[in-house]
Amino acid sequence: MSLHVRPILSALLRNRTGAVLVAMQVAIALAVLVNALYIVVQRAERMRRPTGIDVDNVMVISSAGFTERFQTVPSIQEDLAYLRSLPGVVAASITGSIPLSGGGNSQPLVVRPEEHRGDNYNSLEIDENGLAALGTHLVAGRNFSHQEIEPPLTKTDASRFVPEIIVSRALAERLFPHQNPLGKRVYDSVNQTATIIGVVDPIMGCFPSNDHPDWVFFMPRYPYAFGGSLIYLVRTQPGQRAALMRLVEEHMSKSNPDRVIDWVRPLNYFRDLTYLSDRSMEIYLITVTALLIAVTCLGIFALATFNVSTRTKQIGTRRAVGARRRDVVRYFLIENGMITSAGVVVGCALALATGYYLSLQYALPRLNLYYLVGGVLLLWAIGQVAAWQPARRAAAVSPSVATRTV
Amino acid sequence: MLKMQDISKIYRTDLIETYALRSFSLEVTAGEFVAVTGPSGSGKTTFLNVAGLLEELDSGSYELDGTDVRALSDDARSRLRNQRIGFIFQSFNLIPDLNVQDNVEVPLRYRSLAAADRRERIASALELVGLASRARHMPSQLSGGQQQRVAIARAIAGDPAFLLADEPTGNLDSLMARQVMELLEQINDMGTTILLVTHDPELARRAQRNVHLIDGQISDFRAYEPRRAASPGADTAGAALA
Amino acid sequence: MLSYYVRLALRSFGRNPGITALMVLAIALGIAVCVMTLTVYHAMSGNPIWWKNDRLYAVTMDNWDPSRPYSKDSTLGPPEMTYKDTQYLYRSNIPERKLLMYATDGVISGVGAVPAVHVNTRVTTADFFAMFEAPFQYGNGWNASADEPAQPLIVLSREENDKLFGGANSVGRTLRWNDHEFRVVGVLDDWFPRPRFFDLNGGRFNPPEKAFIPYGWGAQLELLNDEETDCWGQEKLDTFKDFMASDCVWVQMWVELPDAASRERMQSFMDGYWAEQRKAGRFQRPRANRLTNVADWLRDNRVVDNDNRVLVGLAFAFLAVCLINTVGLLLAKFLNGAAVTGVRRALGASRRQIFIQHLIEVGALSVLGALLGLALAALGLAAVHHLYASAHLYHHGGYQELMHFDSVGVLWAVILALAATLAAGLYPAWRVGRLPPAMYLKSQ
Repeated sequence: MSLHVRPILSALLRNRTGAVLVAMQVAIALAVLVNALYIVVQRAERMRRPTGIDVDNVMVISSAGFTERFQTVPSIQEDLAYLRSLPGVVAASITGSIPLSGGGNSQPLVVRPEEHRGDNYNSLEIDENGLAALGTHLVAGRNFSHQEIEPPLTKTDASRFVPEIIVSRALAERLFPHQNPLGKRVYDSVNQTATIIGVVDPIMGCFPSNDHPDWVFFMPRYPYAFGGSLIYLVRTQPGQRAALMRLVEEHMSKSNPDRVIDWVRPLNYFRDLTYLSDRSMEIYLITVTALLIAVTCLGIFALATFNVSTRTKQIGTRRAVGARRRDVVRYFLIENGMITSAGVVVGCALALATGYYLSLQYALPRLNLYYLVGGVLLLWAIGQVAAWQPARRAAAVSPSVATRTV
Repeated sequence: MLKMQDISKIYRTDLIETYALRSFSLEVTAGEFVAVTGPSGSGKTTFLNVAGLLEELDSGSYELDGTDVRALSDDARSRLRNQRIGFIFQSFNLIPDLNVQDNVEVPLRYRSLAAADRRERIASALELVGLASRARHMPSQLSGGQQQRVAIARAIAGDPAFLLADEPTGNLDSLMARQVMELLEQINDMGTTILLVTHDPELARRAQRNVHLIDGQISDFRAYEPRRAASPGADTAGAALA
Repeated sequence: MLSYYVRLALRSFGRNPGITALMVLAIALGIAVCVMTLTVYHAMSGNPIWWKNDRLYAVTMDNWDPSRPYSKDSTLGPPEMTYKDTQYLYRSNIPERKLLMYATDGVISGVGAVPAVHVNTRVTTADFFAMFEAPFQYGNGWNASADEPAQPLIVLSREENDKLFGGANSVGRTLRWNDHEFRVVGVLDDWFPRPRFFDLNGGRFNPPEKAFIPYGWGAQLELLNDEETDCWGQEKLDTFKDFMASDCVWVQMWVELPDAASRERMQSFMDGYWAEQRKAGRFQRPRANRLTNVADWLRDNRVVDNDNRVLVGLAFAFLAVCLINTVGLLLAKFLNGAAVTGVRRALGASRRQIFIQHLIEVGALSVLGALLGLALAALGLAAVHHLYASAHLYHHGGYQELMHFDSVGVLWAVILALAATLAAGLYPAWRVGRLPPAMYLKSQ
């Protein structure tokens, strides 16, 4: 069973236009498919990173004190007492910024005094229930005790540090590579020192879009955002969050006239908002890529159909001189295969060029060749499937067509 | 009216040169009825295409109604074709999705004529071929003979200098063929020049003059009695038309 | 003749409904995707105050850490400045108008039975409203004299006024902002520049703040910037006074300069201050005293990010495939009709007439494709808007605000659709005109 490639190829080359048009579509489709898939997978991986936080069961309450009478610590203690008294609440804590929201504080930490300041690391003020309220776990050391919780910063000592901190494992590895971080000391920008007493893992902080969203450390201190809001984190039993949110908002809006409750929201809201652009990008890429491949298939199908309809006489003649139906199908599939292959070859170059350009723009690693190979195989297969039906129709042409003159 | 001198038409492929017409000359005066005959492969089709300005000649000259066609642009050739030549094909070549009236109208559309003028010409052409009552029918609703008569109406509606008929009865049975030939004779009686290309000697005999082609050259030339009398609208017209 | 060609085109569509529908659909999809993407891109890259682009300038100086740049992927310094630097520069009389501002948090109470409500508040000097052409529904802003010492005057957004005072003219009424008594002097009308060009630090597509108070209150009430505050030094910052004297950046400064001459003078003024401060040990980084107009400001701050560009590129790639597809389908369709074209040529149609006839057919297709494409795009945008809106019941502003047509957008979309399709049809229409009529006439 020889393939008779050469005559098919030379016939194709004599009537190039349709083939060139289809090959162009295939080339663009391959370039788009490969790169879009790559980006989608990258984004999906980013969004799947573990947060270490029990997002589905945590609610966030924003409370803003606004009168002279408002007193931070008593207000916090009253609220926390109320929240902890509710059945269905697993843990409640207080902090100054919202995890996973894209907004928060960070400050520099260094491992030697007087060392020039390095990177900023995300810091979160919590009380002794903070880790439980987030649902994250200590993997070494211990939690803060109630006595260790420092009073909030005031307008006269805004640079005060804390004596001990809990860090994420990733941050510990960053500051003290391959060492046991427990008991080690870190220094802030004015040389105040804190000792690491615990390590949590996994944990994601306030900045999921950063390169290292897991470089986080916790400070045992009541927050006072100097006029901003206090953030309560409340973790509930599964399934109870929605009802508790309504209850809590109802009660806390009235329980203290010196503050206003801005909102009570599920933590999902903040995470989803942060990942919104990635999610939309994914959906858009997938939709348009699928449409593009569909349109390309249409083009392949149309060209094959056109070729069949203009060559009925030739097909009939071939059949009359002894070709089987199978041979006719094979002819068209080979012809189509050549066109698709030409498109694929150009498409590979296009895909690599596009991938290179994107990697420069995004500072991403370069395109993984597995994607390219996968894309080539997929597109080639789709191309053949699209030409299948016209090829079948060609095989159905009767040999008697050869003798008719009209 | 039509003067072809020393015309050669060559078809070249990579390896072979074929002379479809070789030093071919022909002069046709106004009002003549000339038949060009020959076996298949003799160059009849090429002659038709060259005469009908569908193809260009490689050497020689062709003067149509005083105009030398070699120097013309495509626009000018098309105009000439539109106004001076009426085509009749073996397979009728009516446009299937236009009705009879619109089919006859097609060549008229490519000139600047007022709508009323067009309508009038179409009406009289259809009247002449006896199909005025079928003006709104589609070609698929007509018999072969009727379709060819529509094609004739289309050819004469623009008042051409000559009709170029390519085997006009080839796809018709003998009754319809006779009707069509009588119609052509009637039109010739009215003064229109006719060039008929055919391989059927019976058909050719109805013309005034025969030109026989073999291998692209004239091999024979026969003249018959002039068919018509001085006055148009003579006895051969009419009755045989359905 | 035109109407004849149009009729021929419509008849041709009727005869081949399947392939016509496919072509229209392919064109429409390409158009729809492009229009949707470009609408969003256009909205994101728009300059909402383009008519003042050569008058308004953001003032920045790079006072950052000499050992490391402010941003690791751009050469620009911080987008905000220190309190003390802006205090100095603000004293200049060179600009026609000037402002200092930052955003903070507040709670409004004391308005009858309306419960206390949290409002994001902009602390700004008086020229803000005139410089950025914020429209007023009632009253107006305050005078420069009210900035320092700070007068208890407040401007509300229209939405906030609706909530607090039921939309009535509240000028002259009092309320409590963070439990201090303020008097309303103005209520803004609907104003939602997209993007929020004057402050890109917190939510580029968020609406402007709900309340505005004179700049002096910042120091007086020790209000902190709740959007973006950055410090680099090894300074001990215990009090607000320490903060005001530090190298922390948190104040935005804009100036209005009417011509190139005043711009040059402002630049020299800044450079002079910079040189003097540098001698005293500050500003140890390379000099980067900038006056940036709005268009460049939007670009520098990357309002349109890489994702947008990739999506635009993808949309055009998709359109290209759709158009190439259309060329192929048109070629097939026209060549299939070669016999009829041959007849027309024999009957006297010139190549040009055949070309025009087919181009008209392409034109008719493009009109259909454009209409369907626009409809699909509108549907798509509505669906996306709904998707975003429903996911964020509480969230006002943001991406969903971009998902709407504007009349300019529609016009461009139509032009794009027609031009693209006509371009695609040029080659097939030309090809069919060049067919040798003899070959297709089924002569003997």
